[in-house]
Amino acid sequence: MIEVRDLTKYHFGRPVLENVSFRVKEGTNLGLIGPGGAGKTLLLKIICGLVEPDSGNTFIKGQKVQGLALQELTQLRFDIGLLFQNYALFDYLNVTENIAFPLRQAGKHTNKEILKMVQESLNSVDLPHIGHQYPNELSGGMKKRVGFARAVIPKPPIVLYDDPTAGLDPVTSSKIFLFLKAMKEERGVTSITISHDIEGIRDICDSFVLLNKGKVVFYGSRDEIENTQLSLARQFWHGFSDDELG
Amino acid sequence: MSNQKQAADPRMQEENDQSSAGLVSAFFAAIGEPIVYVTRTVKELSALFLVTIKYVIAGKRRPDEVVAQMFEIGNRSVVFIAVTLGFLGMILIYQAGFQAMKITGDLTLLGALFLQLLMREFGPTITALMIATRVGTGMAAELGSMVVTDQVDAMKMCAAEPIEYLVVPRFIASTIMVIVLTIVAVLISYLAGALTAYTAFDVNFRTYFDLGFVSYFDIIIGLTKALAYGMTIPIIACHAGLNVFGGSEGVGRATTQSVVNASLAVVVIDFIISGLGYVVLALF
Amino acid sequence: MKLISAILSLVGTKFLSWSNEVGGMILLSWDILRNCVPPKLDGPETWRNLYRVGVKSFPIVVVTAMLTGAIMVIQSGMYIKEYGAYGLLGWGAGYSVLREVGPIMIGLMFSGRVGANNTAELGTMRVTDQVDALRALAIDPIAYLVMPRVLAMVVMLFLLVVIGDLTALIGGAYTGQVLLGVDAKLFAWSIVNYILLEDFTHGLIKAVAFGFAIALISCHFGMRTTGGAVGVGRAVNASVVASAIAIFVLDYFITYMDA
Repeated sequence: MIEVRDLTKYHFGRPVLENVSFRVKEGTNLGLIGPGGAGKTLLLKIICGLVEPDSGNTFIKGQKVQGLALQELTQLRFDIGLLFQNYALFDYLNVTENIAFPLRQAGKHTNKEILKMVQESLNSVDLPHIGHQYPNELSGGMKKRVGFARAVIPKPPIVLYDDPTAGLDPVTSSKIFLFLKAMKEERGVTSITISHDIEGIRDICDSFVLLNKGKVVFYGSRDEIENTQLSLARQFWHGFSDDELG
Repeated sequence: MSNQKQAADPRMQEENDQSSAGLVSAFFAAIGEPIVYVTRTVKELSALFLVTIKYVIAGKRRPDEVVAQMFEIGNRSVVFIAVTLGFLGMILIYQAGFQAMKITGDLTLLGALFLQLLMREFGPTITALMIATRVGTGMAAELGSMVVTDQVDAMKMCAAEPIEYLVVPRFIASTIMVIVLTIVAVLISYLAGALTAYTAFDVNFRTYFDLGFVSYFDIIIGLTKALAYGMTIPIIACHAGLNVFGGSEGVGRATTQSVVNASLAVVVIDFIISGLGYVVLALF
Repeated sequence: MKLISAILSLVGTKFLSWSNEVGGMILLSWDILRNCVPPKLDGPETWRNLYRVGVKSFPIVVVTAMLTGAIMVIQSGMYIKEYGAYGLLGWGAGYSVLREVGPIMIGLMFSGRVGANNTAELGTMRVTDQVDALRALAIDPIAYLVMPRVLAMVVMLFLLVVIGDLTALIGGAYTGQVLLGVDAKLFAWSIVNYILLEDFTHGLIKAVAFGFAIALISCHFGMRTTGGAVGVGRAVNASVVASAIAIFVLDYFITYMDA
């Protein structure tokens, strides 16, 4: 469903991603872990064509993302939902209009249908009464959930989550992981999840990629990472710090 | 954390670059760099301008958004323009009147010549400089913070093209509003000049409000300038805003870059249109 | 009734916020004055700022001045041609450039290039708590940050207007020759004959006043920045707007008093 092949990206002459390759099968969730500054967010942006890589390609449903015309890229993006690390809510629109934005752009529904769908999605993220509020009036957890609602409302078959629980309290975090789980089990979406919360993604991800300094250090299934002897992967997985990070 | 580091870095880098390079290569670098920068910027700006025009003609029409932007531009700058252009009118009448008193003692043409100069030159140009300052920086800062908070990427993910969605309404609104504000500015400046002429030099209003010198040519030149400025300023400001990188540092950088580039563009366009206008006038 | 009270409250809040800013600037200028006698300013910082301010704004000032001179020649050329008074071209362009247009245009450009940059820099330092860090190290931010910038801006704008006036006249002479067919020698003769030293110094007085005003305003808005990245953008905007107003208002009063 998603394939990344030999991706390399330089930033001011320094490589930030080097020969990154992996695949995500349909209906599975890949956990992308690694220390801060390893290039995880950049990788997600390259996958959906927001950033051009210097070499290598990404494929979505077998279609090469790089070199697509703007129209085709737009078409492709209807199939991808992206939950941004810092929510990226439009701060001049209220919550309802934020969530409605992708639907209005798609232009397939009437205003009445859109408002109904927005209300349903607000109910599903447990925030039924905040439609009239603006993003700057919301707490971090609420913004994250609104961002989540906006990313998944067009029912895309692929959803990419960039650190969905960063800076949230444990209760809200577990709620968010429940949403992620429901997305996978009920809608069968394919996804990539960046997270530092190993406990949280242990159960919802099927395979894992550990990225360090722009390189794939580990790529394998849950069983494989549980039993790996690779010290960096063990540190990350079990939270040890017996050895210096990278 | 990395942001703070960058905040301290640039000055050190500037100085390091200069001392490490040899004198000759530093000299050529100093000449070449601005040329490369200007060529690249002009290229990018013309590309953005063409895409914007394409969307203006063929894109979705969103009149509500355009009206909202027009209100924003007018609301932000009308008082500012009234104050600055009012003072400009007083200053110019004062200087001109003072000089005329010394040389000829004849002030009957003061108002008529002032109006002509105001329409051809100072009205559109100073208004545009003020709008570049007030509105241009606002646009650059606004779009810049949308870029650094990923809102522009989010827009792309929702299949909304940022140029069509953000630049086009600002472009249309500014094109209209600069013309409107220029007319307002000329009126205010002319009236402020009338009061100054009356209080300082006893020029009565009947003599001052003499429209004898103004021709269609002056009006056309003034409006052409206003039109050109109104199209250039939002393109430069939006370009600066959309190309922000590097957090809050970057937003500050884009804002300053937008004032400087837009003001410089206004002066350059002024020169070009004035020159062409002169040639046209000389031919006919 | 509602409308009236809304207008009144709008006027009131505007007035209060303007008074607040003006008061802040007066306090800042008092601080600056107090640091002048005996002079307390950081030596290396001053040199660094003089260099940066000058180098940063030199190219843009030269380009602006040259074009301004050319534009003024074109504008006065229209009248000159009508009356055939080619000997007055140098005077017309020179008088307006030296007394008014030169200092105003260079001042506006300077405010955009240096003033805005200064506000952004101080504002970023402020929102990332670097100013408080200076205080914690027992370094006076006025003496360390503000004084060198004020001095650098006043000195540099003065010098830039001197250079700018010269380039504007050169640009004007060239345009006169190419576009109007007025010999550069005649242009120069006209300047030497009709322009008084007083016209030149009138512009320089303005340059010093503008330099101080831009420095004061940009430091004031920079040091008072709050609210992160958005706040820095807002401070820069407020700083360039206030500088432009200050330039025109000061220009009027100097013209009025010096005439």
